[in-house]
Amino acid sequence: MIRSTLHRLFGMAVVMAIVISLVFLIVHITPGDPAAVMLGPDATGADIAALRDQMGLNAPLWQQFFHYIIGVLHGDLGRSIFLNIPVTEALWQRAEPTFFLTLMALLVATLIALPVGILSAYYRGSWFDQIATSVAMLSASIPSFWLGLLFIQFFAVKLGWFDTSGYGGPTATFGERMNHLLLPALSLGAVCSALIMRFTRASMLDVLNDDYVRTARAKGMSEYRVVVKHAFKNALIPVVTVIGLTAALLISGAIVTETVFGIPGVGSLTVSAVLRRDYPVIQGTLLVISGLYVLMNFAVDMLYLWIDPRVRY
Amino acid sequence: MRKILRYTLVALLTLSCVSVSAQSEPAKGGIINVAMIGEPPTLDPMVSTADLVGTITQHIFETLYTFNGKSQVIPLLANAMPTLSDDGKTYVIPLRHGVTFHNGQPMTAKDVLASLQRWEKISSRGRQTAEKITELSAPDDYTIKIVLNQPYAPMLALLSLNNSAAVIMPEAQTTESPLTTFIGTGPYQLKSHQPDRFIQLVRFVGYHNLEGAPDGYGGARKQYLDEIRFVPVTDPNTRVEGAISGQFEYVDSLPVESFNKIQGGKDKPVLLKPYGWPVFVMNTKQGVASNILIRKAIQAALAPQDMMTAAFGSPEFFTLDGAMYPKGNIWHTEEDTSLYRSMGDTAKAQQLLKQANYQGQPLRILTSRQYEFHYKLAQVAQAYLEAAGFKVQLDVQEWASLTQNRANPARWDMYISHSPFLPEPSLTGIMSDTSPGWWSTDKKHAALQAFNSETDPQKRIALWANVQKAIYEDVPMFKVGNFNALAAQSPRLQGVTPAPWPYFWNAYLTQ
Repeated sequence: MIRSTLHRLFGMAVVMAIVISLVFLIVHITPGDPAAVMLGPDATGADIAALRDQMGLNAPLWQQFFHYIIGVLHGDLGRSIFLNIPVTEALWQRAEPTFFLTLMALLVATLIALPVGILSAYYRGSWFDQIATSVAMLSASIPSFWLGLLFIQFFAVKLGWFDTSGYGGPTATFGERMNHLLLPALSLGAVCSALIMRFTRASMLDVLNDDYVRTARAKGMSEYRVVVKHAFKNALIPVVTVIGLTAALLISGAIVTETVFGIPGVGSLTVSAVLRRDYPVIQGTLLVISGLYVLMNFAVDMLYLWIDPRVRY
Repeated sequence: MRKILRYTLVALLTLSCVSVSAQSEPAKGGIINVAMIGEPPTLDPMVSTADLVGTITQHIFETLYTFNGKSQVIPLLANAMPTLSDDGKTYVIPLRHGVTFHNGQPMTAKDVLASLQRWEKISSRGRQTAEKITELSAPDDYTIKIVLNQPYAPMLALLSLNNSAAVIMPEAQTTESPLTTFIGTGPYQLKSHQPDRFIQLVRFVGYHNLEGAPDGYGGARKQYLDEIRFVPVTDPNTRVEGAISGQFEYVDSLPVESFNKIQGGKDKPVLLKPYGWPVFVMNTKQGVASNILIRKAIQAALAPQDMMTAAFGSPEFFTLDGAMYPKGNIWHTEEDTSLYRSMGDTAKAQQLLKQANYQGQPLRILTSRQYEFHYKLAQVAQAYLEAAGFKVQLDVQEWASLTQNRANPARWDMYISHSPFLPEPSLTGIMSDTSPGWWSTDKKHAALQAFNSETDPQKRIALWANVQKAIYEDVPMFKVGNFNALAAQSPRLQGVTPAPWPYFWNAYLTQ
């Protein structure tokens, strides 16, 4: 167990080193210039060059990479060009909406997907199964931004239940801020629920025909106990994997949803950083998102060991 | 009995006066939320030429002069128009007394001098102007003296613009770059800024207002509203829904195609007619468009009518106009606009291409989808240019890449941009020899030199016609037409004058 954990941790470190290098390279190779964005459309080439020099962007790429790596090893992700604050501080400021949006979306996705997936497998081939499978297919095909706009039109404009965008004003309480996350969480969760539902259904179909399920039924156990206590528990491993991966996907998927709903989270920070070429912020956010993705995978692997002690790496 | 009658009469008169004044003077109070196209790259108006930066920061910072409703320069922090020496090189600017900064400190010539020196160093417009300034001094606490090496008429307009702006800040703040404190003299002061969430401005209680009536960006700046909150809403569709639902009191920069949809919503559409002009800037320095015959062929081939229809839909949202300034503007002239043809002239373009000995080199058009109308203009232009015999390469890039690539003359032949109608024509991008496009000919220099050296406003209007003529003859750019801008406004919000850089002093809320 310890050996396999250490093995996994080493793998994670290698992946992160590759991610850091790739992100740095891609960000700096991509055309675009933070100085040009900062100075605006009427700035001259000389003005842009002078500001680039001031920002240290004219130094050789290897030198910039070296400084960046030394900084990352010391926990310093650099300073945002546009926000004029450390990247870690910018990320920390944006953590609240992204964390709760992901959590709420995951909750929405799981609450929809698990019961529907179980029922769909149990009533395989029925009208319920057919409708649920079709809806899941449709949800999986819908881009989250489009569903977001539909939700805005219906829930915010037509019914007036929510604001169309934003995260509340300067005096917004925690509850009001969370209220602003309901609609984006619903649209993000609905899209992600399709994948979890399909995995739950497939996994349940596998176990529902197993001998121990037949035995449990033969012993006169209630259908509820057979399906939920016996079959579902054994169908859980692939479902946990997909929920873990979905959680990681939600963090990156929030990028689009946050932009559509004007939520000032890590996703919108990433988008604005990319559009402005705020290099330190792009590197920082991608590093954190990749780190969370890797960590989530690690957590799922560790969960396997707990759910099924027979699993060995 | 008479006494009672007299008192009753006096009471009635007093009451009627109170009610009249209550009707004429809107009530103070209220908060407005203004949806903007995004988060400004900076809140330092000296650094950026972006409209978004100027629109927000003009509430916080003020300049010595500004523009009135007729786009004429009028005093703001200056006490009067400057005294100009006979040779047109020395400006003596008297400053207003009693103006205080948001930190309570009184504004003196020391602050103005330090601010203008900062502007010369860090602002792109300031740096260009600095080349013409030989002396900048403060002879006393309320006077500024600027000496130029040659007469330069755009000087006052440069001291009035709200982007890349010569704003006045306390002397101690001028050493900051980038700015970390944002203290100005404006009617509203910065209370809180949460990037990508809101910029909260509150009424500056110590504001020293000008007397008289509001006049464009100048005159009295009434502070009816308690707070103005600028909220970044990046997605245009979300801004449209925000306008329909009435979440915002003002929504800036909406797609014109949403006009009818917004009419049925809670906020009502507001058209700024005309707002600006889309332009194809040509690379006169390098590549296929550096040949004037090719540029003339492009000018002949393009069909503004189809291009503007594709970009803006209904004629309600655009006008076909070859003049650099629209009718009604003091700078409007029809000089040489006969070369602007609404449906183009393919035969003439083909003939010019033959004369230019065009060998089918690709004409690279740099455009982006940041502004969807740029892309639509490019698509129609491509069809017309190909019909004339050009081989067109459409390079669609996102905006940050485009702004970098257009600085490199080896990478493009034409790029698409747009601009509002600037109050001073010589501030338009192509007037600078170093601006991407690099238009630099004797014809241009002669026309522009005469225009910029003349300080008599009436004579300048006549001289502008020569500059427009040089533009049509050298073809450093192709102006496609005039377009209108769409915003939305709550019926409760009053006192907002449609403007390219909307401002909310003088605005108030009704019940």
